[in-house]
Amino acid sequence: MIETALPRYSRRRRRAASPFASIVSFAILVVAALAIAAPFVWIFRGALSGSDAELYRLPPTLFIENLTLANFGKVTEQVPYIQFIANSLIVATTVTAAQLITCSTAGYAFARLRFRGKDAMFAVVIGSLMIPIQVTIVPLFLVMSKLGLTNTLWSLILPGIFSAFGVFLLRQHFMSLPYELEEAAKIDGAGHARTFFQVILPLSGPSLATLGILCFTYWWNDLLLPLVMISDTEKQTLPVGLVLLAGRFSTGSLGTIAAGITLAIIPVLVVFIAAQRYVVQSIASSGLKL
Amino acid sequence: MTTSTLRRTGDGGDLAVAPGPRPRPRRRGDGRAAAAFLAPSVITFSLFVLIPALGVILLSFFDWNLLSDGTFIGAENFLRLVGDARLWSVYGSTVFMAVAILLVNVVVGLLLAVLLEVRMPRWVRGVFRLSFLFPFVVSSSAVALIWRFLLNKDLGLVNYWLGLVGIDRIDWLGSSVFAPISVIIVSSWKTIGFSILIYIAGLQAIPNELKEAAIMDGANAWTRFFRITLPLLSPTVFFLIVINTINSFQLFAEPRVLTQGGPGDSSRTIVQYIYDQAFGNFDLGYASAIGITLMVVLIALTAIQFRLSRRWTFYG
Repeated sequence: MIETALPRYSRRRRRAASPFASIVSFAILVVAALAIAAPFVWIFRGALSGSDAELYRLPPTLFIENLTLANFGKVTEQVPYIQFIANSLIVATTVTAAQLITCSTAGYAFARLRFRGKDAMFAVVIGSLMIPIQVTIVPLFLVMSKLGLTNTLWSLILPGIFSAFGVFLLRQHFMSLPYELEEAAKIDGAGHARTFFQVILPLSGPSLATLGILCFTYWWNDLLLPLVMISDTEKQTLPVGLVLLAGRFSTGSLGTIAAGITLAIIPVLVVFIAAQRYVVQSIASSGLKL
Repeated sequence: MTTSTLRRTGDGGDLAVAPGPRPRPRRRGDGRAAAAFLAPSVITFSLFVLIPALGVILLSFFDWNLLSDGTFIGAENFLRLVGDARLWSVYGSTVFMAVAILLVNVVVGLLLAVLLEVRMPRWVRGVFRLSFLFPFVVSSSAVALIWRFLLNKDLGLVNYWLGLVGIDRIDWLGSSVFAPISVIIVSSWKTIGFSILIYIAGLQAIPNELKEAAIMDGANAWTRFFRITLPLLSPTVFFLIVINTINSFQLFAEPRVLTQGGPGDSSRTIVQYIYDQAFGNFDLGYASAIGITLMVVLIALTAIQFRLSRRWTFYG
């Protein structure tokens, strides 16, 4: 019963287009995909090249003459790169875990519960989408410094715990689940907490994965907040660390910077490939509409 | 619209027409449950969104340099805004770059998403989708660093390729004409995957029956696109316009790493300017006043977009 009520992801029949149109479409897609992939290929290749001369050779060759892993070692000699990665991991995973809790509970309340002031509160949530963290960064800094949290990872974690977008995304998803489920749970004697944890959440894997991946990558990648909050080098996160690394080397050692960039990309690549199939599915089924 | 009947007929895609909350009797204990479910959000929202948002208003009336106590100076910061030529030029660059990035996302994103509908093996579609979306999850500073090399005037690959088709070397990062264009290219390159993703979702929500009926009636591909796909996709287009506007006006990392906002202020964004004033000049009051202008601009733009949207969006 649950199966049929749930959105099934695209098993649609595709109509045949004319061969000419298909070929042109396909060609455009291939060019676009290459334009997106080529810079990554070039930088990964740079990370494995032994000499910068080889990197700057034009036209570039796919084949690497002096294949080496030495660049990855050099990254950690110049800056505390492992520490940057650890800091970014701590921040991104903690924020993601916290956001999944706050956004799913709030999304459930907005989608499924009736209470006074609900519409007004939801309007405030949507309205706060328009007050980005970039605008409030100065008072946020003062709040953190009053709490004595600047120059700690807390100052990067706490501002990320609430997300208007996350509440919105999960509310949309919860609203698409059939009410019959909830009624059935209620008849079985389940309260709100049980309904939420045992009925609603287990049906929300793709949406939670989507919010998780968007949240993780955003906080893994954020540059502004660590730039403002953190003053000690060893407490910095990866995006700032990358800029530091690039600064130490100026234009000379591209291979090392390429290795640094590669190390920054690999974790999101892994998370992304693991979760990406859920992303389309959940965005398709939750219906993001304002 | 009879969403409940439509829901059963399609393949699930049309579920994007989210059924509204069906009226049901208020359950006992809803209020208390709501309080418990909302508590974590309300607390963090208050501390890290609401208080800073009010704080930015309060601060804008002060002269505050972080070291000494602030002094109340009334509307002086706002009067200063008017005469700040740099602010206006930074706003000019920001608007130019934001609008261009928005257009690329909304228009090119739609084109690519529609092309992805063409018949192809599942895994090929998967590879395309993966490559389009991937830059979106990579950090802006990594992206900007990669492109700093690619756009290098003498050694960069972009100029090399352009040279092959007979175009002279362009000073992508060092000229005030091309620096903002570089930021537009790099930022669009990074963000377009997200728009494509949202479009794919929107396209899947369009019931196949409608297209099939149109084919029966002899409508060609153009007619089908403009008469069926686009109207039914209008809420998605609207969503993307709003989200991309908000995001594009917050541009910070790309210009900072790519061009440092230069040359001059040609590629500086308003968020960079706020950052410079607050943490470079330690002029927190003035930075807050600039922040308020950005907030007002974003709220006004969104309000206008919502207003205009009634004329062109079509909710089944």
